[in-house]
Amino acid sequence: MRSDKPASPALWTAAWAVARKDVRIELRTRYALNAMVLFAVTTAVMVSFRLGPLGVSRDARAVSTLAVLLWVAIFFAAMNGLSRTFVREEETRTVALLRLSTPPLAVYLGKLLVNLGLLALLETLVTLLFVALMNVRIAQPGLFALTLSVGGFGLAGATTIIAAVVAKADGRNALFTILAFPLLLPLLIIAVEVTEIALAGTGWSNALGGLRVLAAYALAQTVASLLLFELTWES
Amino acid sequence: MNVTGAAPLRLVWQHVAKTYGSRPVWQHLAGELQSGEVLVVSGANGTGKSTLLRLFSGLEQPTAGTIRYTCGPQSLTPRAMRPQIGLVAPEMMMYRELTALENLQFVAAARGLARSTAALLEQLAAVGLSGRASEPVANYSSGMLLRLKYALALVHQPAVLLLDEPTAMFDEAGRELVDTIIMAQRQRGLTIVATNDQRELAWGDYVLKVGSAGQ
Amino acid sequence: MTSALKLSTGLWLAVVTAAMFLWVPAHEGLGNVGRIVIVHVPTGWLTSVAFLVSAIYSALYLRRGRAVDDAKALAAAELGLIFSVLATVTGAIFARVVWGTFWNWDPRETAIAVLMLIYAAYFALRSSIEDVTRQRRLGAIYALLAFITVPFLIFVIPRITDSTLHPNCAILNTPNCEGLTLAEGGRVIGQVSDFRLELKAVEQVGSITVTTVEVRNPDGTFATLRPSFDSATGRPVAIERVPDSLRELQIKQLSGAPGSQTIELALANVGNVGLLTESRTLITFFASLLGFSALFVWLWSLRAGLLSMHEELQAVG
Repeated sequence: MRSDKPASPALWTAAWAVARKDVRIELRTRYALNAMVLFAVTTAVMVSFRLGPLGVSRDARAVSTLAVLLWVAIFFAAMNGLSRTFVREEETRTVALLRLSTPPLAVYLGKLLVNLGLLALLETLVTLLFVALMNVRIAQPGLFALTLSVGGFGLAGATTIIAAVVAKADGRNALFTILAFPLLLPLLIIAVEVTEIALAGTGWSNALGGLRVLAAYALAQTVASLLLFELTWES
Repeated sequence: MNVTGAAPLRLVWQHVAKTYGSRPVWQHLAGELQSGEVLVVSGANGTGKSTLLRLFSGLEQPTAGTIRYTCGPQSLTPRAMRPQIGLVAPEMMMYRELTALENLQFVAAARGLARSTAALLEQLAAVGLSGRASEPVANYSSGMLLRLKYALALVHQPAVLLLDEPTAMFDEAGRELVDTIIMAQRQRGLTIVATNDQRELAWGDYVLKVGSAGQ
Repeated sequence: MTSALKLSTGLWLAVVTAAMFLWVPAHEGLGNVGRIVIVHVPTGWLTSVAFLVSAIYSALYLRRGRAVDDAKALAAAELGLIFSVLATVTGAIFARVVWGTFWNWDPRETAIAVLMLIYAAYFALRSSIEDVTRQRRLGAIYALLAFITVPFLIFVIPRITDSTLHPNCAILNTPNCEGLTLAEGGRVIGQVSDFRLELKAVEQVGSITVTTVEVRNPDGTFATLRPSFDSATGRPVAIERVPDSLRELQIKQLSGAPGSQTIELALANVGNVGLLTESRTLITFFASLLGFSALFVWLWSLRAGLLSMHEELQAVG
C-alpha cells in the first residue's frame, strides 16, 4: 500500500500540473490579468496627471513619494488580481476534484508558482509605467530589481495562504484585503524604504539590512503557509 | 497498491454519526465491505446518501465514529486513501475552460501518473467521448459531463469506486456503460453506489437503507 | 477563592489609581502628564502578552482540537483589543502634550496599530463563518499567520528606522540611552545619531557644573546649549531643548575632579530619560503592572469560561 505522503518527485509533478492548469485557465479567462493590468494602468495614469515629469521630480521628497506610489499600485493591483485563486475553485465547484486528486501541498505550491508569475508580470508593468509616465530614474537598477523580487516573493507567499483562508469563509471578497493588509504592512514599510534607496542610489550597504528583513519575512510566511495550508484546505 | 494481491482490501466503518449544526443526519452507522463487493446505499432525498459517500472519500469528516480502509496489517483513513479512490458525484464539477482531454491530463498529472495522450484519448473513447476530446467542457451536455466524470474517476484505476447518482443524466446506453464499469470494478476493488433508482438496487451485493433504522 | 482574587484585584487597582494621582509626584519637566506612564506602559505590554497567549492557544487548538483552547485564544484576543485601545488612548494623550501630536507613525505606534488591525481582521473573519469548527480552525490559522508577522514589526522596524520618539531609557539611566562621553582635555567632539556635539567649556559654580556644548543639527544649523549638573544631589539641573527638534540635552553623569572631569551627555527625546527614576513613580508603576496583569488573568479566565459554557449549553440544547 502506498504511504500517506507521496514521494517528492510526484509532489512537484502535481504542483506543476496545478500551475499549468491555472495558467491555461487564466490565459482563457484573463480574469486576474485584466484586473491587475487595468488597476496598474489606472493608478499610474491618475498619479502622473499631477505628479508627472513636471511635477514631483523637482521635489527633494520625490523619491519617497514615488516609492510609496509604486508599492501602492503593486499592492492594490495584487489584491485585485490574486484574491480569486481559491475562491474560483469553490465557486465553480471544482474544489472536490482538486482535493481528491491532488496532494494539498502540491495545490499550495502550484498556486504559489502562478501567483509569483503574475506578480512578476505586474511589477514589470508597474515599473515600466512609472518610468514612462513619471520620468522615474532608477539609480540602482540591480538593487531595485532585487527589492521587487524579494518583496514580491513575500507578497505572493502571504496572499496565497490568505486567499485559501478567505475561500473557506463566507464573506469572501471584502475580507481579503482586511485580512491581508495587517500581515503585509511590515513588508510594505520595509519594501518602500529599500525601494527609496534604490531610486536615490544611496548604496547597497544602506539597503542590506532592509533586504535581509524582506527575505526573512518571505521565508517565514512561506514556511508558515506550508505548515498551515493543509489544515486550511481540508477544513 | 495492488489489492488483488495477498490481502483483500476492506472498508470498515463503526459508530459513524454526522451532524450539521444541531441537525443529526444519522447516528451509529456501522458496516463493512470487501474487495469485489458492491454496496448500494439508498434512501429518500435528504437522508445523507451523498454525505456518506463524502465521508468514505475523506472530503468530510464524521462527527463521531471511525472509517478505515484496511489491507493486511495496514489501516488508512479515507483521506490517506485518496490516491486509491475514484468518485463520481453531481456536485463535483470539472474545469469548464479546459477541454475534456486537458481535464483528464490535469487529473492524471496531479495524481503523479505518466500517461501518454494516446492512452488518455483511449480512456475518453472508453466512456463514449471519442471525437469530442478537444472541445471545451463548457460546451458539453449533461450526459457528456457525466461520461467525462467517469473517465476522471477511473484514470488511476482506483481500488475504491464511489458513485453518487451514477445514472442521473444517462440514457439507456449510459446505463449500460455504468453496468460495464461496475462489473470491471468487481475485479479491481470495492464499489459503493448511492442511488434512489429501484433498478439500480440490483447492482448491490448489499443494500444499505439510510434515513430509517440504519443497517 | 475566585471572589477573593476578584476583590483584591479591584482594591489593588483602586489603590494604584489613587497613588498615581496623590502619592506620585509630578514629573520634573513633564508635569502631571508624566503620571500616564503608570497606565500606558502596563496596558501596552499586556496587549503584546494577550497576543502571545492567543497565538499559543490557537496553536494548541490546531494540535488538540479542543474547544476550550479556542475559547481561551478568543478571550485573549478580545482582551488584547481592549488593552490596545487603552494603551493607544493614553499614549496619544501623552504624545499630544509632550511631543505636540496625537499620532506620529512612530515604530511603536505603527506596531500597536497593526495589532489592532489584526484583531479587527480576526474578529471579522470569525464572524463571517457560520460553521463553528471551521470558524475556530480558520481563526486559529489566521492568528498564527499574524503571530509570525508581528516580530517583524516589534523588533525589526524600530532598528532600521531612526525616528522613534519612544523612550529607550525610561526606567534607568542605562548606557543604552543615546549619548556619549566627553572629557575636559580629552575627546571634546562626538556624534550622537545625526547630531554632532562639541564641548566648548566647563565652569564650576559651587557643587554645580555648567557645561557649554555646541550642537550641530543634521540640517547644518548650530545651537549652543548649557546643560548643568549638581554633583551634590547627583542630578541634572538644567536640561536644554535642542531648537527645532524633539530632543533635549542633559548631563547624566560626572566623574573626576574639576578641571579633568569626564562628562556623560544624553541627547534623548523629550520625556525620554528618567521617566521612571523617581522612587514613588517606580513603585506605583510596578504595582500597576501587577494589578493590570491580575485583571488580565481574571477577565481572561472569566471570559474563556463563559465562552466554553455557551458552547456546552448549545450542545445540550
